[in-house]
Amino acid sequence: MRFSDTGYYIERYIKCGNCGVLVYDEGVKSSDPKLADTYFCSDWCVDWRTQRVNGSKAPRIKTG
Amino acid sequence: MGTSKATDFVTMNIIESSMISACREMGITLMKTSYSTIFNEALDFTCAIASAEGEMWAVAEFCPAQIGGMPLIISSSLKEIPLETINPGDVIVHNDPYRGGLHTPEHTLFCPVFVDDQLVAFTVAIGHVAEVGGMVPGGFASEATEIFHEGIRVPPVKIKKRGEDVEEVWKLWLANVRTPRYNYGDMRALISGVEVGAERLAQTISKYGVDHFRKICADLMDYSEARMRAELRDLPDGAYPFHDFMDNDGVTDQEIRINVECFIQDDEIVVDFEGSSPQVGGPINATLGVTWSAAYNAILHLTDPSIPKNSGCFRPIHVLAPAGTVVNVDYPAPEVGGNTETHPRIAGAVIGALAPASPERAFASEGGTHLNFVFGGQDKVNDEYFACYDIEVVGWGATRHADGNDATDSINGNCRVTPVEVFETRYPWLTEEVSLIPDSGGAGATRGGLGTRRIWTCLDAEITCSQLTDRHVHQAWGLNGGGSGTSGMTLYMAAGSSEWQNMMQAFGKSSTSKWSNVVIKPGDRVEIVTPGGGGYGSPAERDPELVQEDLAEGYVTAERAKADYGLGAGGD
Repeated sequence: MRFSDTGYYIERYIKCGNCGVLVYDEGVKSSDPKLADTYFCSDWCVDWRTQRVNGSKAPRIKTG
Repeated sequence: MGTSKATDFVTMNIIESSMISACREMGITLMKTSYSTIFNEALDFTCAIASAEGEMWAVAEFCPAQIGGMPLIISSSLKEIPLETINPGDVIVHNDPYRGGLHTPEHTLFCPVFVDDQLVAFTVAIGHVAEVGGMVPGGFASEATEIFHEGIRVPPVKIKKRGEDVEEVWKLWLANVRTPRYNYGDMRALISGVEVGAERLAQTISKYGVDHFRKICADLMDYSEARMRAELRDLPDGAYPFHDFMDNDGVTDQEIRINVECFIQDDEIVVDFEGSSPQVGGPINATLGVTWSAAYNAILHLTDPSIPKNSGCFRPIHVLAPAGTVVNVDYPAPEVGGNTETHPRIAGAVIGALAPASPERAFASEGGTHLNFVFGGQDKVNDEYFACYDIEVVGWGATRHADGNDATDSINGNCRVTPVEVFETRYPWLTEEVSLIPDSGGAGATRGGLGTRRIWTCLDAEITCSQLTDRHVHQAWGLNGGGSGTSGMTLYMAAGSSEWQNMMQAFGKSSTSKWSNVVIKPGDRVEIVTPGGGGYGSPAERDPELVQEDLAEGYVTAERAKADYGLGAGGD
């Protein structure tokens, strides 16, 4: 999310390129060149989307 | 994952019950002090307690549409109002769908709970405010094509600071709605709810001490997470796809696809909505908070109901909602129907997807709409503008073990219908008929629940009406061979006429289910028919005694008893 200098309004809405949640801070980037311009909210989303764009239909990424 | 070795389950249970009790008291306060029927009769609100980080610790059993998105609302708000700027006596209000909110009418109020000078928690009330300005009275601008048609957006701001009203916020908000006195009363009710909850919660925290209380709440969330993981582990791993459609968006007649694939992976689940339609021009787009709520809602329906409802049980659930689609709308598209109409379709799709994995708990589709009949006009007696958001009820889908419930609010509402006596006292309508509709439930070994018919006559004032509903075309689906429920419809009959017409015929609207600003005059009549639920299993397997019983009760006609179930003229 990019706010105006005053913080009074939003200039750009930025969402995670995998799950779609709003990204308020710098976000997380993928090392995959195909996703270089995409913001992510978490390592989990980076891993899932990276594997999906590289052909895996159902990546297995455990969090617990 | 898992509770720590030192978990004290007895204390955990007592604290959880105390928090739920506080949430219930918040809800009762809200109900008893509010001005609008959507709060004091329909109970369209949720009351919860969240950690200082925005994780939900406890929630009362009111409207489930709002619980899944609540952590998103609080955490998004705290990005703009940092914790260190929040003081005792502050109350924050927020309704912006593009900052984590659900839809424009849904106002979230939250109040910090300080103990020993530490901000430990928030009490939260989310309520559907009946009038929010915009292009129609009552909030559901079904012909809206941008968010600015749908009413006033309130970013997270303090409406009270250190116990004092922030007059500027009140004045700005109340200048933008049609019913300022009612809105004032309803906002006061929401604030009272969170303040009562904060008082009760502070007592509980003080009794146990801040550190002990926090540890118990952390253990409680870990416990819920462990329970949810155990449930998911019992389901067979695999990929489970499903899709359903919405009729249209009110602007064009194109159907809209809700697509889901659920990946069960050991003790976690990924709910992926890739393949859903791009966001549309009309107001049925869902925000991300809606899609989270709908996915969680579906999974809570398919797992053990005794799992404590808090953010812990959501941890093993990953919801993927691509931006710019009908399940995660991008600014500035309209979205007001996403929370009421699209939520049930999303939740239903997840249940449909998981039905093969969870056949004992899955159920056929319910009517999947709140009917959202909204209206406003000038009250001749009080010389004051009135506005109303009316919810109607649908037939629910049958389960493997039971017929679907008749005349029940859709899956995300849990709301009540306003009693006829209250409705007629408050608004210039005469209710001619409220009835169950025979044959509206889908046939099956277990039958779908019945929809309803309601007929109103306008009495002594012109009323500006709008509606945002669905399932006039795509019916509630049956499961495992069960039949579909019947469609809904809304009809109009002008005073002096004897012909019922739909809104396209009568007023040239683009949709029969989504239309705005139709002026109903004294003597005109409106009929609302609500969808029936889907059936489960083959009708040939239905117990003949149950068919006889349905016939005797008038739930099915002799014609359908014969056609669907093979019941002979002699009743055998």
